[in-house]
Amino acid sequence: MKGKFRIALLSDDRKMSEPLILLLESREYCVVLRTDFSRVLGALYSDPPDMIIIDLGAFTPERLKIVSELKTDSYFAIIPMIGFIRPSIEESVAWEQLPLDDYMVLPVQTPELFSRIALSIQRMERIFDHNPLTKLPGNTSIRRAVEKSMGKPRAVCYVDINLFKPYNDIYGFVRGDEVIRMLARIISNAVKESKEGGFSGHIGGDDFVFIVSGKEAEAVSQLVIDRFSMIVVNLFDKEAQARGYYISKDRQGRRQRIPLLGIAIAIVPTSNTAIQHYGEVAARAAELKKEAKASKASCYVIDCRKA
Amino acid sequence: MQTKREEINRMVQDVKSLPALPGIVVKLRALAESDAASLQIIARLISSDQILSAKVLKLVNSPFYGFPGRVSTVSNALILLGVNVVKALVLSSSIFDLMEENVVGLWEHSLGAGVAANIITKRLALPDGEEISTAALLHDIGKVIIKIKLKEEAERIRLKVDGGEVSIREAEKEVLDVDHAEIGGWLGKTWCLPEKLIEPIACHHDPVRSVTYADRTAVVHLSDILIKASGFGYSGDDLVPRIQEAAWKKLNLSDHVLREIVDEIEDKLIEVKNFSLEIQSSHEGKV
Repeated sequence: MKGKFRIALLSDDRKMSEPLILLLESREYCVVLRTDFSRVLGALYSDPPDMIIIDLGAFTPERLKIVSELKTDSYFAIIPMIGFIRPSIEESVAWEQLPLDDYMVLPVQTPELFSRIALSIQRMERIFDHNPLTKLPGNTSIRRAVEKSMGKPRAVCYVDINLFKPYNDIYGFVRGDEVIRMLARIISNAVKESKEGGFSGHIGGDDFVFIVSGKEAEAVSQLVIDRFSMIVVNLFDKEAQARGYYISKDRQGRRQRIPLLGIAIAIVPTSNTAIQHYGEVAARAAELKKEAKASKASCYVIDCRKA
Repeated sequence: MQTKREEINRMVQDVKSLPALPGIVVKLRALAESDAASLQIIARLISSDQILSAKVLKLVNSPFYGFPGRVSTVSNALILLGVNVVKALVLSSSIFDLMEENVVGLWEHSLGAGVAANIITKRLALPDGEEISTAALLHDIGKVIIKIKLKEEAERIRLKVDGGEVSIREAEKEVLDVDHAEIGGWLGKTWCLPEKLIEPIACHHDPVRSVTYADRTAVVHLSDILIKASGFGYSGDDLVPRIQEAAWKKLNLSDHVLREIVDEIEDKLIEVKNFSLEIQSSHEGKV
């Protein structure tokens, strides 16, 4: 969507918001004021802005939840978010639990506000290694997340799509990108729904990583596989859907039947003390993937080797 | 000068949301508050309401998520959007201020048509049952737009229907120069819904016009008529249209098969009626 930069201002304090809106509009920002905090999340999801300014008021759980909900959804985490707080409470705020991008103390000073808006936007563009296609964290964040889970009862799961290249050749890369985006949403939602939560990242191309608790790894993997097969049929034409395969040509130009897309998942539990480095996790996963790929259908393979 | 049609078409392009039935929203609110609410339970409840289903499908098909026009069932939308996003979306829904009888009647008619489509696709062993039921659930969404956005005209249409032997569709054409089916199709386009939903919605009274998804349109056409004939809900008039030849042939129907389908629908409607009463009372219990 091209046009003016859109800022969602979440505040029920009219005395503060009314002059602020005029100021922001004088700088060519388009401001959407939301005063009903109980309905704000749905409104933001259905009409995402370019930036969010939230008046945290008395730090009610409702307002804190808005911050955490948005920042844990990959599509919304990249929207810069500035919080307004009352004076003299800065020191008592548990910032670790409040994933804001920046804050300002009320009453806001105009030049400072404009500077912070500009800097927040810049910072977002600079520090995030999110994949532009899926908005999921990229390799730097993945490495950090894998290292953090080593020696803990977690499991690192590597996902990739079987026979993705012929699909791209036949259906085109625009469709291929849709497949990638759908898989990204499926993985991140399945991880979020798991009891202990976890991490989802996009290595690149059709390669993804997610980290969940060791106990839940198989269940989450199976859920991702089931959901992917439910959704992916929508990305084939009617004939391929009905037959369960499509026709492609191999390098020699021979016609081949290619099955509908499936995925392979390699699960590497990180509680195994024999694994000491990030590189070893990746190497084990690569071996397991070969096994998983040997089966034509979607499946997961788990690393059972002992230390 | 702008014709009435063009004026309405332009108006539809500005429709961002429509009000839902309070009972459903109250029930979903209670569900959303318990963390244990599973994806399937939420999906089932949303699938019983045409407005909430349309709202969820609108979001998942919006360009923001990057798969426009691709998702046509509520359960797939939930998988892609995530439970939290859908919960928040439902909680922010506006609701009808007044619970008129006609609003409940239309809601029951839509729900009934969805149920009928499900039975028909199963009996005829057609693929994509859930997608076709969704199209049937949404088939009269144009009537909601007329009711909400064209209040004065809606009243004139109602008077015409009540006054004589004219169907709601004919009355709409006289007053608006366009019927609810076409308006529903326009909304589907504006909201980037998949063509396989739009075509059955837009052509459900005139299945011969359906080219790409003729079988789906035929099922929706039949569902609409069978639900009207059953007397369940109220779609704006009491006239039951004929099943069109094209749909009959497309579905390869026979009197015998139709009889079985009707019986099965009748049985199922008892259950649906209980659900409807439950939804209505959960609204009353709250207010």
